[in-house]
Amino acid sequence: MSNTDQATLAATQSQRPPFYRDVTVVKWLAQVFTLLLVVFALFFLTTQALENLDRQGIEIKYDFLSIGLGSDLREGIDTDPDTAGRALWAGAVNTIRIAVGGIIAATILGVLVGVGRLSSNWIVSRMCSVFIETARNIPLLVQIIFIWALVATLPNVELDQGPINGLLHLSNKGVSVPRLHIDDGFYQWLIFIAAGVLVGWLVKRRQDRRHDATGQDTYPVASFVGVLALFGAVGWVAHPIFGWVGAIFDFIGDGFSALTPVVMQVVLSLAALAAAAWWIRRFLARHRTPAGLMKLTDDDKFRIIFAGVGALAVIAFVLVGWPGLSSWIINSGTDLLGVIADKFGDGRTGRPIDIKAPDVEQVGNFPNPGPAGLNLTQGGAAVFFGVVLYTASFIAEIVRGGILAVPKGQTEAAQAVGLRRVTMLRRVILPQAFRVILPPLGNQYLNLTKNTSLAIAVGYSDFVQVGQIVYNQTGKSLEVISLWMLFYLACSLTISVIVNFFNIRLKIVER
Amino acid sequence: MGMPMGDGAVTAADPAEAWAGEREPAQKPEEPSLSAGEWLSKNLFSSAANSVLTVVFTLLVLLAVRGLLNFTFSEERTWRAVKTNVRFLFTHAYPQDQYARIWVCVGVIAVLSGLSVGLLAKTGRGISMKRLSMNLMGTGGVIGLGILLREPSAVVDSEGLVVHRDPAAAVGDSFVDWLDGNALTVLGVLVLANAVVAVWFHLQGTYLRDGPEPRLAHGALVLVSIGVLIVQQYASGEVVRESFAEAMADRSWWWLAAALLAGAGAAVWFGLGDARRRNTFVPAMYVFFAATAVMVLSAWLYPWGHYAFLEGEFISEPGSTVAMTTKLPWTVMWVLLVGTFLLGRALSTAGAASRLRVPLNLLWVMTPFVLYWAVLRDPDLDWDHVLSTDIPMAVFFAAFGGLVVWYLAHPRIGEAGRIMAVVLVGVAVLNWVAAYFGWYPMLQKARISFLLLAVVALLAHNFAGDRTHRMRLVVAWVAIMAVFHWLVTLVNSPSTVDTPTDALFGGFATTLTVATFTLLLAFPMGVLLALARTSKLPIFRVLATAYIEVFRGVPLITLLFFFVLIFNLFLPGGMSLTDIAGATIGFALFSAAYLAENIRGGLQAVRRGQYEASDAVGFSTVQRTLFIVLPQALRVSIPPLVGQVIATFKETSLLAVAGMFDFLRIADKVISAQSEFLGVKREGLLFVSFIYWIFAYNMSKHSQRIEKRLGVGER
Repeated sequence: MSNTDQATLAATQSQRPPFYRDVTVVKWLAQVFTLLLVVFALFFLTTQALENLDRQGIEIKYDFLSIGLGSDLREGIDTDPDTAGRALWAGAVNTIRIAVGGIIAATILGVLVGVGRLSSNWIVSRMCSVFIETARNIPLLVQIIFIWALVATLPNVELDQGPINGLLHLSNKGVSVPRLHIDDGFYQWLIFIAAGVLVGWLVKRRQDRRHDATGQDTYPVASFVGVLALFGAVGWVAHPIFGWVGAIFDFIGDGFSALTPVVMQVVLSLAALAAAAWWIRRFLARHRTPAGLMKLTDDDKFRIIFAGVGALAVIAFVLVGWPGLSSWIINSGTDLLGVIADKFGDGRTGRPIDIKAPDVEQVGNFPNPGPAGLNLTQGGAAVFFGVVLYTASFIAEIVRGGILAVPKGQTEAAQAVGLRRVTMLRRVILPQAFRVILPPLGNQYLNLTKNTSLAIAVGYSDFVQVGQIVYNQTGKSLEVISLWMLFYLACSLTISVIVNFFNIRLKIVER
Repeated sequence: MGMPMGDGAVTAADPAEAWAGEREPAQKPEEPSLSAGEWLSKNLFSSAANSVLTVVFTLLVLLAVRGLLNFTFSEERTWRAVKTNVRFLFTHAYPQDQYARIWVCVGVIAVLSGLSVGLLAKTGRGISMKRLSMNLMGTGGVIGLGILLREPSAVVDSEGLVVHRDPAAAVGDSFVDWLDGNALTVLGVLVLANAVVAVWFHLQGTYLRDGPEPRLAHGALVLVSIGVLIVQQYASGEVVRESFAEAMADRSWWWLAAALLAGAGAAVWFGLGDARRRNTFVPAMYVFFAATAVMVLSAWLYPWGHYAFLEGEFISEPGSTVAMTTKLPWTVMWVLLVGTFLLGRALSTAGAASRLRVPLNLLWVMTPFVLYWAVLRDPDLDWDHVLSTDIPMAVFFAAFGGLVVWYLAHPRIGEAGRIMAVVLVGVAVLNWVAAYFGWYPMLQKARISFLLLAVVALLAHNFAGDRTHRMRLVVAWVAIMAVFHWLVTLVNSPSTVDTPTDALFGGFATTLTVATFTLLLAFPMGVLLALARTSKLPIFRVLATAYIEVFRGVPLITLLFFFVLIFNLFLPGGMSLTDIAGATIGFALFSAAYLAENIRGGLQAVRRGQYEASDAVGFSTVQRTLFIVLPQALRVSIPPLVGQVIATFKETSLLAVAGMFDFLRIADKVISAQSEFLGVKREGLLFVSFIYWIFAYNMSKHSQRIEKRLGVGER
């Protein structure tokens, strides 16, 4: 360092600005001030809420989940739930049912329309764009209510007439289609399927390698499917030979129930510590260069400390916060193992899967679709078709954009090396288009899941609607809101984790 | 794709537009004119498979159109319900004797729109005469086809009830009845015949090259299919229907409309003669004015019927034109719109556009506040209080703040200015702390004024400059104070407009109001959140990220429930939010999270060099953000922002679920509960869908145009 440099350095050091102009000080002051403001606002609102609730004699407690609910649900796994908690669970299952079905249907429809939009056939592309512009420019709620009003004009269910065509059943009570019923031997059959997947994967790998080595067509995917089908077919008849599997689970269950809570507490604590230690080690390993440990920033140190503190917090929770946790785990674990043992139990020799056509039954005053088919009530059908049409229009635009985003040179290059059209699509165009499509597609899946909450307008028993029933009956507003938020945040998180997983796998490896 | 996507309608098309923008030159070369036959064989019958697709999809389209027409014009539809309730649908309970206020609002918006479009809009090339005439002829043709496709109306008896046939006699044995019974089979055979034709000519290898035979065969078969679809409906079913001649005579007004449209198109086409003259362009705005003029004229000429609820009485006059209270105001609105447009054009030619741009945009921002609080509410001002307190306080803050700003914007203000700013911030904060602990009384608006002054004082040195610049700042401050104090005074005065419900109005007016105020609140929040999320300061970043992720992860409906039903619990005793205010806050918080993500995409698109350059010039962080980064970021994120505007507009329909009388709720619940229209629901819903669609569709088309224009300049 030369003399002049040192002189400048000294000069700047001596001329440190006063504290109120020091960038670092001002930045941190502003941040801390904002944080204080936010904390104060939250504190103010919370104390007000607690005070107001106190004045009305209401406590924030979640014990309402175990008390009875006075009303029935229109559909779901449990239409006459014993407790509010059970009702909410049924509502959550209904939401997930609509969301998963909706995501699959909307993806299929959206891809078809999106590709159709690019068709060289004028009428096909025009029809697809009319569909897109109609479906996405009318509010979803309007569509849902409109479909609901349309379903209401369908004919009544008649007891003697039975389902239309034996398969599809359309009435003002909703839609029914044939359903797969899990029958007696399903779980033993599942063992065959699992074995089929394993063997099929091995075969596929072998075929892949042969293809790489010799260049011959070895049909890896086809052989995978073939092996799986073979195992499935054999298992269809042979599944009773696995009747002894249930005994194993019985044995494990006995061992599990013999555990004492203290042992469980120790195991959980050790697990938390091990997880924290593993995470810190991995973190440090990432920051290790051949020359040694990289300098850790304040953020990094904070993360390490946070991991340790988190582990300690978990241990404190297990030991002090909720001492009953370990016995709860033991009990429910034993129950779960018992259920599994029962499913795999001896004497289940029936068919694995059954398909039944929808039926009609009369329970109360009016005939209704019976339990044989897959039924969507009027509200369910409205929500399902509403979200599917609405989301499909957005997915179609995303798909179109993704395909157009693949540079034309890629197609030309693929044609130049003589790839067949199908191969070109599968190996060149679609992988690149998919990379563009996936992130916005994930957003649409999130939107679809959240949009199922509009079910409340047509009385479909989804999580929000059941929550509102619970709230109306118990007055537990804040608790219900918190459950709503937790549930939907969990859904969002799950979807974004899945999408991110694929996103990372598809990413171009940048060097 | 660097940009995160919201529910935006436009973003999805982004890569497509990008691709098109890269490939196509800015000025498209003139497309060669195809003859009808060439166009058909290129776009519909280019190969055997394509032809089969075309036939199948044509049938599907026709079936869908026929279904929609029969649904819309069926005698089971009670469109009277919508006509009678138009006023209800748009403003719900706003008192009728005060209705002039609503028209003043519409008029103000018409004037501003006309001026803005006339002054500032870039008209582009407009619509070519060729396309215009083809569209006119096409519309006429489509209407004609629709008239033919529709089922004949049912015969009604003297009491207006549909006449039914004896079920035994319902099944006739004429050819038409046979066709009706076997329509699906016949259509199936026709589709099959088309496929056979396609395959036959394909196997001959002559599909594209030689002769028009395959096209003619397909065309004939399609025409026969259309014939089947039309004839089928004249079969004698359970309901007695009109004969073909009667049905056609019944639709004479429609025939007239179709003939007029097609005739106008043909007149343009043949009047212009050769292809070059047909390629001249007319501004899109003029076409719009002409179309709206036709609509306004039809209100004077065509017997739409006069239906209304007037003071609880149901008026039904099918044969007359619409009420004077409808057609006269709309005519005035049209004249205002066109007049101000022409005025704007004239000013623009005079070169006033650049000077008027800023005031006009400011007017647009102010308009919602003025219209809502001063025109629609008609506040009852307490003049004693206004003269003794409100005006003096406003004058004080304007004068004091003006001096402070003048002083602080001096270029060589130095340390003294900063100390003064810090002191002002301290005073502002102290005022709020005092409010919490109840130390000294002070009007809330004085506290807010101090806070505003503190913020302006902190930022003032970024705007420092010569006398003109400083004067401009002072003027801005005085304007802010005037508007702020005026608004607070208005908000604090009770309304004199007497409405039966808590809300001032309902229906579409609520939809628009909530959407507007939502966006006005959410936009600044979104900008701040986006800046915080991309900031290098950890606490800001964490707070913004947490906010955005939580609000994006939760369904809007739960937020609405929270803010409409539960939020009052969180307020100190005595304070409460009205439903509309709560809902607007809920919408705004939700939209802000999405807007923030859109703007973040724009911020990320600003190149590093811009930051470095502004650092090199010696800009402060605030200056860099305000003058360099944000303008570019916002410009890039206009398309997704418009997408978010559309999404917010559509989301306001959720007000219906939260228990407010918005557009959707009136169609869904209110009309169907009126004794005259019990259970009439689908008509209202269809109407509501149509209105929503018009607004959303036009906004999305407009944003696509903006996108294209921005794209051309950028790439």
